[in-house]
Amino acid sequence: MVSQTKSRIIEKNRLTELLDKLAQDYHLIAPVRDNNVSFRRVESGSEVTLDYINTVLSPKNAFFPQTETLFRFSRDDSRGFRTEPGAEADREQVIFGIRPCDARSLRLMDMVFNGQYKDSYYLNRREKTTLIGLACFDPAETCFCPTFGIDPASGEDVDILFSDIGDRYLVEASTEKGAALLDRFAEFFAELRGDEEQLREARKAGLAGMKKLDVNAIADKMAPLYEGDYWDSIGMKCLGCGICTYLCPTCHCFDIADVSLDEGGERFRCWDSCMFPEFTLMASGENPRPNRKARVQQRFFHKFKYFHDRNGELACVGCGRCLRYCPVNIDITQIIEDVTSGKAGNE
Amino acid sequence: MKATSEEVQTRVKKLFEDGSIGYFIGYETGSDSLHVTPCFLKSGQVASRLVWNPLCANNLSKYLLDFKNVEGKVGIMVKGCDSRSVVELLKENQIDRDKVFIVGVPCSGIVDREKLLEVLGISPGEVVAVEDDGDAFLVTIKEGTQRVDKEQVLRGECLVCKYPTPLVYDVLLGEAVSSLPWVGDDYSLIKEQEALSSEEKALHWNRELSQCIRCYACRNICPVCTCPECIFDKKAPRWISKANDVSENLVYHLVRAFHVAGRCVDCGECERACPMNIPLRSLNKKVEKDLLELFDYTAGIDVEQQPPLTTYQVGDLDEFL
Amino acid sequence: MSENIYLPRMATIQSMRPETIDVTTFRVTIDGSDGTGKFEYKSGQFAEVSVLGVGEAPISISSSPTRPETIEFSIRRVGELTNALHELEPMDKIGIRGPFGNFFPLEKMEGQNLLIIGGGIGLAPLRSVILNVFDNRAKYGKIDIIYGARSPQDLVFTSEYKEWQAVDNTRLHLTVDRGDEEWKGNVGLVPTFLREINPSPEKTTSITCGPPIMIKFVIEALNELEFSGEHIITTLERRMKCGVGKCGRCNIGSKYVCLDGPVFTLKQLEEMPSD
Repeated sequence: MVSQTKSRIIEKNRLTELLDKLAQDYHLIAPVRDNNVSFRRVESGSEVTLDYINTVLSPKNAFFPQTETLFRFSRDDSRGFRTEPGAEADREQVIFGIRPCDARSLRLMDMVFNGQYKDSYYLNRREKTTLIGLACFDPAETCFCPTFGIDPASGEDVDILFSDIGDRYLVEASTEKGAALLDRFAEFFAELRGDEEQLREARKAGLAGMKKLDVNAIADKMAPLYEGDYWDSIGMKCLGCGICTYLCPTCHCFDIADVSLDEGGERFRCWDSCMFPEFTLMASGENPRPNRKARVQQRFFHKFKYFHDRNGELACVGCGRCLRYCPVNIDITQIIEDVTSGKAGNE
Repeated sequence: MKATSEEVQTRVKKLFEDGSIGYFIGYETGSDSLHVTPCFLKSGQVASRLVWNPLCANNLSKYLLDFKNVEGKVGIMVKGCDSRSVVELLKENQIDRDKVFIVGVPCSGIVDREKLLEVLGISPGEVVAVEDDGDAFLVTIKEGTQRVDKEQVLRGECLVCKYPTPLVYDVLLGEAVSSLPWVGDDYSLIKEQEALSSEEKALHWNRELSQCIRCYACRNICPVCTCPECIFDKKAPRWISKANDVSENLVYHLVRAFHVAGRCVDCGECERACPMNIPLRSLNKKVEKDLLELFDYTAGIDVEQQPPLTTYQVGDLDEFL
Repeated sequence: MSENIYLPRMATIQSMRPETIDVTTFRVTIDGSDGTGKFEYKSGQFAEVSVLGVGEAPISISSSPTRPETIEFSIRRVGELTNALHELEPMDKIGIRGPFGNFFPLEKMEGQNLLIIGGGIGLAPLRSVILNVFDNRAKYGKIDIIYGARSPQDLVFTSEYKEWQAVDNTRLHLTVDRGDEEWKGNVGLVPTFLREINPSPEKTTSITCGPPIMIKFVIEALNELEFSGEHIITTLERRMKCGVGKCGRCNIGSKYVCLDGPVFTLKQLEEMPSD
């Protein structure tokens, strides 16, 4: 049903102008097509493409950038250092066009960056961002978000949801932040005509065949598979590259390193991948995950057991990117099925 | 005629039965009817999993490196391009010819999935099978079959392939293919790029490589990237920063292009693996063209012929000295 | 402005005491005259130590919080960061983040006899607990310290042994893998030595730290000697970066060594995958 907080419509021909205004007042991040479709900072609405199912890279970059300066340092007189924290998000951000799967992934990332120690870099960006989602009515063959209780046509995890219902967009704000933005740009929006819900239901017909896998008690079913051969063949195929982890909206591993420049330098963090061989390599030469089998196991156990043990949720939103882009076609949906059906235990 | 999947399955089963091999690396159906995935067999009983069709893009020769210390012979399926990588691996003594049983499959082109879907205007779920039919592919979709001209939907590396039949093999399955009809000047794109000014070239590569996410898929899938510890993973000295920055990305790609110079056979896997659609092949193709012109050398043809950058002849160019 | 968990505090190296050719004990003080010079920690915790411009690494705190003027790290020269640390001199500055991790359950250990088993540089975190219990001697039963290193030259904290042996109801059992002409003590691996000493598990808690292979065999031996899982405690090492359970690197199963560890009981280890 249409959101209670605030609902409007916007004519399709006014969208570009709205995006222009958003780009003026905020740091606007939206999907852009070049070699493929990715979220980028845009300065005008004409740069934005809405002709996509999902972007290659998830929007996690807007909160957890691939490379981020933690702090800079420079020598002071007393043989010591002066430190200066890296620039935090100083402008309010708007992300336009985020899909419900990616929006849900942010809630999972929140669990990592919150907790006993609060990661101010991520949390600051999260606070300063308004999420404008785009409902999904034509999913890809690799999508399986209903598996995790995600409704591709729902704005549960965003501030405002845009739904393309044919000749106009239905615009629903489900948070105060979202409602405030609708007020601010009220000139672009109009009252509902009354048939929006009906039109939306018609559009949702495209979601009927979506893959919804059984993940009931998958964390428990993973446990006995720690020993055994199931992961052998997957480890053999796996190239050990970072595609799955870098594209995954819920993968959060990072490295921290220093750069020395003349009399100072900076410490930055950057994405890292548990699939890389030196990820757990200790200075002594020991490596608790010395082969691809162990690393592949770690990835799937983390997503479907370890994260669940710690946070009560599975660390996957069914966006299908890992499946789509894996150069050797490792299929996460097949793995889920093998685990929950018990087939994995019998190999 | 191209070999069928059944012919491959039968032959591999026999190879296991007569003790010729202890393992086999081949292809099996992947996540849907438009994908195949590498498979590793330990017995002939599951040989029925094997497939051979125009979707078999993977260059499996890289996996031979994992079997170096394993007892028994490992069998592998190679297309023309893959066999050239095997020649390079043999040149460098990365694999022992006696420990490998090569099943060569002459290939007349691998289909590019995205191009196929675009040309036919269909979605992936509609495809049931893709088969080779001479100068076209036969695509079985739910409503029937469609014939699509190969030239429209082939992978980039197939459009310029000069060696469709494996150059090294123990057994050849399917008729040898001497040449592919659509192959013309395989350096036309490179020549266009060479004609650009320095500024235009810099602009082009800066733009392309600013999208690189340093996932290292191109390196990891490349059959001739065989260093146990890659220079880019080394910490001391650290050659490039792990930070994602276009200048670091440039160093990575340019240095890798030189490291594989004279060894790259344009199997196209690097570009296929890249999730950001960066045109990596053109970098390596340029180096390949230069080596041909400067040293009359082509990689992956003759096991005895050493790559120019690892050997020195008295008559070599030294205009920079 | 919330606290920045990645920003280190500056500290000054007060002294550097070489223990062996590759191990040095650094005594540091945290800079800051506005009360920020305090650093409250418990035995078993670690800190992320930085040399700005080189990097950061997790180092166990080898001093005891019962002696508040001292913060000590006993560091072996083994990688990029530790090499850089060894090149520094007193009065040079380093960065400290922390303290992080959990700690040895000293309250639970009260009234127990203690069997402390160390190998090589593994004695460093154990020293924190050793000095801690010495400073509260009456709360614990008899103390046996079994310590071994590859050779007599690799033994750490040798300058303190006399002081340790002089403590009431405390015994120090030393061993080396390979002796030399001057070595008069036991020669043999720590787990073997442990079996020869044959300590009783009665009312005894055991804490062990050392190379992974040593920990494995020591635990095997303690099991055979019938120590219960709750009373076998160890402290583990993993490659770490953030130290606060976010970078995803140091996990063993569902546990992060930097958050849920590095101190674990055997009972906890048995529930974790055999990473």
